[in-house]
Amino acid sequence: MSQWVRRGIQTGIKTTAYPKRQETAAGVSPGLPIGGDYPARTIAELIERCPTQALSEIDRRLVVDYRRCVHCSRCRNDPAMAVVWQQGYEWAGLAAGGEQPELPGNEFRHSVNILVVDAGDCGACLHEVKQLNNPYYNMHRLGFFITPTPRQADVLLVVGPGSDQMRVALQKAYEAMPTPKRVVAVGTCALSGSVFGPSFVSAGGIGQILPVDIEIPGQPPPPLAILHGLLAVVGRKAPVALTSPELPVIPKERV
Amino acid sequence: MNLAELEKEITRSWPAGVKIQGGGDPRFLLIEPDIGLLRDLCGWLFTVASLPFCGTIAEEGAEEWELRHIFYGVKGGGWVQVMARRPLAVNTFPSISTMVHAASWQEREIEDLFGLTFEGHPLLGDFVLHNDVWQEGVEPMRHRFNARTPVAGRRPDPDWRPRRIVQAPGSFIMPIGPVFAGANESVHLELETVGEDVIRAFSRLFYKYRGVEKIAEGRSAQDVLLLAERFSATTAFAHALAFCQAVENICAVEVPVRAAVLRIFIAELERFRHHVGAISAICESTALAVAASQTAILEEDLLRLSGALAGHRYLFGLAALGGMTQDLDNKACRDALRKCQEVLRRLEGLEEMLRFSSSFLDRLEEVGFISTAEARNHSLVGPLARASGVVHDLRKIQPYSGYERFSFETPKEREGDGYARLRILFEESRQSVQLMEQVVAALEPGSVEVPVRLRAGAALGWAEAPRGAAFHWLRLGEDGRVARYRINPPSFINWHGFHLSVENFAFQDLPIILATLDLSVAENDR
Amino acid sequence: MMNFTIFLYIMAACGLGIILALLFPQRQSPKVIAWFGSLTALLLIDGGGRALFAASALEKTLWTIPALGPVVIRLDPLSGLFLLVAGVVFLAVSIFSGSILLSLLQRYNLKVYALMYFSLLAAIIWILIAGDVFSFLLAWEIMSILCYLLVAYKYEEDENSRAGYMLLVMSEAGTLAAALGMLLLAGHAGSLEFTALKHAGATGQISAATRWIIFLLTFFGFGVKAGLVPVNLWLPRAYTAAPAAFVPLLAGATLNLGLYGILRFNGDLLPMLSVGPGLVVLIVGTITALLGILYATTENDVKTMLAHSSIENAGIITVGFGAGFVFTASNKPVLAGFAFLVALYHMTNHSLYKTLLLIGAGVVNERAGTRNLNRLGGLIRRMPITSLLFLTGVLSIAALPPFNGFVSEWLTLQTLLRSVELLSIPQKIVFALCGAGLALTAALAVTCFAKAFAMGFLGMSRSKKAEEATEPQSSALASMAILSVLCLLLGILPTYVIGGLNRAIQPVSAVNVAATLVPPFFSGSPGHEKLPAAFRHDFHDLGAQVGQQIAPGPGLVILHRGGAKNPVIFAAAPTYLFIVLAAMLLILFVVVNLVFGWRRLVIRRPCWDGGIRRLLPEMTYTATGFSNPVRVVFQSVFRPTIVEDTRETVGVHFRTAIRRQDENTHILDRLLLSPGRKTAMATARFFAGMHQGRLNAYVAYVLGALLVGLLMNHLL
Repeated sequence: MSQWVRRGIQTGIKTTAYPKRQETAAGVSPGLPIGGDYPARTIAELIERCPTQALSEIDRRLVVDYRRCVHCSRCRNDPAMAVVWQQGYEWAGLAAGGEQPELPGNEFRHSVNILVVDAGDCGACLHEVKQLNNPYYNMHRLGFFITPTPRQADVLLVVGPGSDQMRVALQKAYEAMPTPKRVVAVGTCALSGSVFGPSFVSAGGIGQILPVDIEIPGQPPPPLAILHGLLAVVGRKAPVALTSPELPVIPKERV
Repeated sequence: MNLAELEKEITRSWPAGVKIQGGGDPRFLLIEPDIGLLRDLCGWLFTVASLPFCGTIAEEGAEEWELRHIFYGVKGGGWVQVMARRPLAVNTFPSISTMVHAASWQEREIEDLFGLTFEGHPLLGDFVLHNDVWQEGVEPMRHRFNARTPVAGRRPDPDWRPRRIVQAPGSFIMPIGPVFAGANESVHLELETVGEDVIRAFSRLFYKYRGVEKIAEGRSAQDVLLLAERFSATTAFAHALAFCQAVENICAVEVPVRAAVLRIFIAELERFRHHVGAISAICESTALAVAASQTAILEEDLLRLSGALAGHRYLFGLAALGGMTQDLDNKACRDALRKCQEVLRRLEGLEEMLRFSSSFLDRLEEVGFISTAEARNHSLVGPLARASGVVHDLRKIQPYSGYERFSFETPKEREGDGYARLRILFEESRQSVQLMEQVVAALEPGSVEVPVRLRAGAALGWAEAPRGAAFHWLRLGEDGRVARYRINPPSFINWHGFHLSVENFAFQDLPIILATLDLSVAENDR
Repeated sequence: MMNFTIFLYIMAACGLGIILALLFPQRQSPKVIAWFGSLTALLLIDGGGRALFAASALEKTLWTIPALGPVVIRLDPLSGLFLLVAGVVFLAVSIFSGSILLSLLQRYNLKVYALMYFSLLAAIIWILIAGDVFSFLLAWEIMSILCYLLVAYKYEEDENSRAGYMLLVMSEAGTLAAALGMLLLAGHAGSLEFTALKHAGATGQISAATRWIIFLLTFFGFGVKAGLVPVNLWLPRAYTAAPAAFVPLLAGATLNLGLYGILRFNGDLLPMLSVGPGLVVLIVGTITALLGILYATTENDVKTMLAHSSIENAGIITVGFGAGFVFTASNKPVLAGFAFLVALYHMTNHSLYKTLLLIGAGVVNERAGTRNLNRLGGLIRRMPITSLLFLTGVLSIAALPPFNGFVSEWLTLQTLLRSVELLSIPQKIVFALCGAGLALTAALAVTCFAKAFAMGFLGMSRSKKAEEATEPQSSALASMAILSVLCLLLGILPTYVIGGLNRAIQPVSAVNVAATLVPPFFSGSPGHEKLPAAFRHDFHDLGAQVGQQIAPGPGLVILHRGGAKNPVIFAAAPTYLFIVLAAMLLILFVVVNLVFGWRRLVIRRPCWDGGIRRLLPEMTYTATGFSNPVRVVFQSVFRPTIVEDTRETVGVHFRTAIRRQDENTHILDRLLLSPGRKTAMATARFFAGMHQGRLNAYVAYVLGALLVGLLMNHLL
């Protein structure tokens, strides 16, 4: 067994410097389109191409609703009218009606236990949540722990659009949690239903089942985005806007 | 028996009552027996001709039900489709499950979603749509069913109880899930036991049923590609590829060579990444922390490599109808290959160490055993089947995207235990990197996408996904929109055999067995 | 002479009970038992108590039978203790009988039951006060037959009759063996009176071989009633078969008679001179305890489980006896006194909590319709008082403080540890092994009774009737409550109990053990000075004088205080432990309630079930599942044989049923009964084969027999 110890020490420290410093390694994030000023015809064409109505036009500017973007890349693959994509990952935002996180000194200043519930996830978001335990991200150093039972959970992390047959389990888990508690919706599916919902078996996001506090966009959100979301829950990072450019009110869903 | 011999043999055995059509595609043998002969013919194909069973596709036509039982793995390549038709008013078919056990879940799913009854099937109902959530009589796959809105007026069965078959004094059900232990996919397992050993295991799936096949109907092929890619994201590219190939088969499109080669490159990268992740999960399940961390590092390295190479860590948005959405330049591919080789080198180092960690091996060896006979009976696919001596690699037996141009080995083990499955994962990882080397060497300049003119028709697309054979059957309507989409993913096939590996082992082996089986719930639930 | 008068009254009360039961209609029989039984029991408690604390043993010759000698009544403190315990058990059982017996009214004759009940009571008393071999054996025989009749009382079920026969056969064999042993001794003494026997034993006229024979005959003869290995085959069967109102008597009263016999004959009348018999007792006790608890742990029928547990407890008590015998023979009178004292302590405790639990089992069976733990569950919500009372019994028997089982088991283990003072290494090894066996027994007992309570009373109900169970009549609750309170009292006031028991061991131990075991430590009496100064000082630093203020009395049980070289102390203060525990719980409760506010802290939510729609009873652990690890670990003892392992399928692969059943044959059945039965059958067949009906053959047999007889005569 000593060989494993040796191997572990030889590997050295792999853990990211985030949240103290930004992570700059390539490939940690799929990126998101940036809205703004584009020629009118381009905007119309882009809106046409977007399969999930993430793009819209407000005040003659292209607005990207991050809650709906599925990284299909259709708005950037055509060199003729490429939208610029940001490569960041601090994407977590406050859900409409969600509880405003307080700055340090709040109820979650100690370690936080997280219950992960899969409500119809495709596997990617869940996989990224699991990556938080790998040496690169190691969320334990920040006081976040995944717990198997709602009895000791502070945060309910939900992935997936909210499949019909998981609805009971989801509600039971939420009710079984002690207060104070927060709900974090992870991934585009959990925010808007993505390509799956709303339908006869999927809700159009977890917000239709539970009161969501923090929303983390991305399909899937990279581990750092989830980490940002968790830090936002406990008030150690500020949440950001869920649209680009920032809008005071999130646009209503279009049919 | 190759396809021609098979045809001869069938005409000899059934001189009357079996219609054989060549069909357009020479790779397909289309047989239409009298309805009374369906069971015998399928049974013959499965047991005597030893063809693995691929899946069943039900379609609600304008006037009649169409049911296709598809077999594959004919020597020299080829498929056998056994077709059955019934008027819409008669919604019963003879069940073939008593002869072809692998068809059991296919028929159960069809019964649950279409409301078709299979005569002679002993176990129908309460499958996809749980009876404690839905009432009987909801048939979502019928054309008349509106997929957009939730079903009002639920009347679930209040007295629903799990089916118990163990009759032993003091036996009980150990319920697990759907929300259980850490970050797991939602699945409910019921282990019947009298303590310690599992006497019977039962998996209650489809908690995550998202009705992908239903909501695909009426959408454009472009948009359904998003569904195909996103219903099981850990093996997204393989499924996207299978879907694209189905469309390309319908539209008779030949993808450019560079695109085909790049597809192999990406598919093998995905397989490699997936297998490293699966190995990491196995290490974690045995509580070998350092090995789990080390392999997790490698997995994250590959995820970052994918993100840097293709713009998405899970390789979304790469496959396109008729090719690839983006051309990867040769240098980037070479760099990626070099990194993969580096990861493989480190992985092999870990493999060597794992092979000498007795505490690790003790928990894998002779645990979660699946016999070759059972693997055949359930027509299991992928690394799981290969560990039990059933190879069935679509890249070999039914090559697509130009796999026949490259040389590689499909590993095979006989033991059928957890350790055999681990060895398969390591060997396939090696083969994948080796394939990528050949692919990079074969990269030639050229376009990566041809325009696809959508037309009406139906075809099967397939790919060897990291977890095994994935079959996508697609029918496009006159307007180019999807009329019927059927996914038969490897996890759906393999979950059928889940109980084989768990029964007669102790509770504490369950997490390890689950990790070595590497079954995806998302892929199964669709 | 006061005591004899009381026993006259008791006998009269028994007779009156019989007469009343015969006079009143059958419906009233339970009431007669309840009232007259209680009255008699109260008188018995009084008489027993008086005898226990009497200044000297009393003896009275009632009359003299010409051929057999005098019929003597003899009352010493040892009898007094057994009478007292029997009185308490009979009190509780009589009260309980008043309600439970009514369920038998439709099918069985309750007048007969009442008749037998009072006769049994009288017989038990007679056994305990008999002062000569003849009356002892006569009473014993009456008691045995009554036991058989009562066990087989529900004669309509074949199983019960079979269990009764088993009991009768083994108990008769035991009586015969014991009688033989006693008569051997009496032969040496030339009289049937116990006093004469004791005199013969003390003067040492008896050879070592005869002593061994007498020991073996009486030990295993009385061991049948006490339930010792290997002569306890009847016990689980009889407990299971006996009516609910009678089982507590089997465990609480007649089992003690076996122990009484062993102690009376091998401790009092013929004390040990060599360690050999003591070691045999020790080993038999340990094996009995281990096998008892193993089978109890894996048993799902509450009554049968309690039967096996009685075997276990009899084993623990016997271990105490064994240690006592060895210490006596090794000339360690103080240690021997310890050992006998703790054995009797444990016996008293066992009578109390086993009676309590068996009454509880009877109540559960009546109210929930089954005794099978796999079909019970959730009773605590339906019958909270019963559950609480049963729980005190469970805590007591599982030897958890502050209840009585803890004190006596702890003392038994500590006594075994005192074997360091023995000189012989092999003896020490035997003691160490037996101690380890007993420790394992104690651990398994916790498992066993955690299972009994958890599977029976907690969780979800696994059957319809269990779901609809209700509290029993108050008389049943009252009888359980009396015993519960006694269990607690014996657990928290051992220093006083030991004082009483100290009197009971007078016949078997010459020294005053109580003075050593419970020195007047906290009470500040002159005995204080007996303790070393440093020791007192240490305890003073620990705040022992505070304890003196709270509760005066000898609050400390000290088993060992080491020597000058090795000043170790094994001591316990259960009284103060209880006070401190109670105070801490109270403070905690007050703090949580007043300071934090209970309501704010407690949120009640349904059990987390992983998110399934409804958690069903069949998804919870069963008793079988709970004890399966024990079954697997001790597979070599249980040796289950697979009776059925089949599967039903449709179309080869669809499974519709998997049937599995295995059968445990008790290890003693396997090793002794079955071979014994086979041998008997073979012998019978052999002799049957001799009946050929030919005259020549019979003449040859007669001739052969004559020859053998002559030959033997010549040789001997």
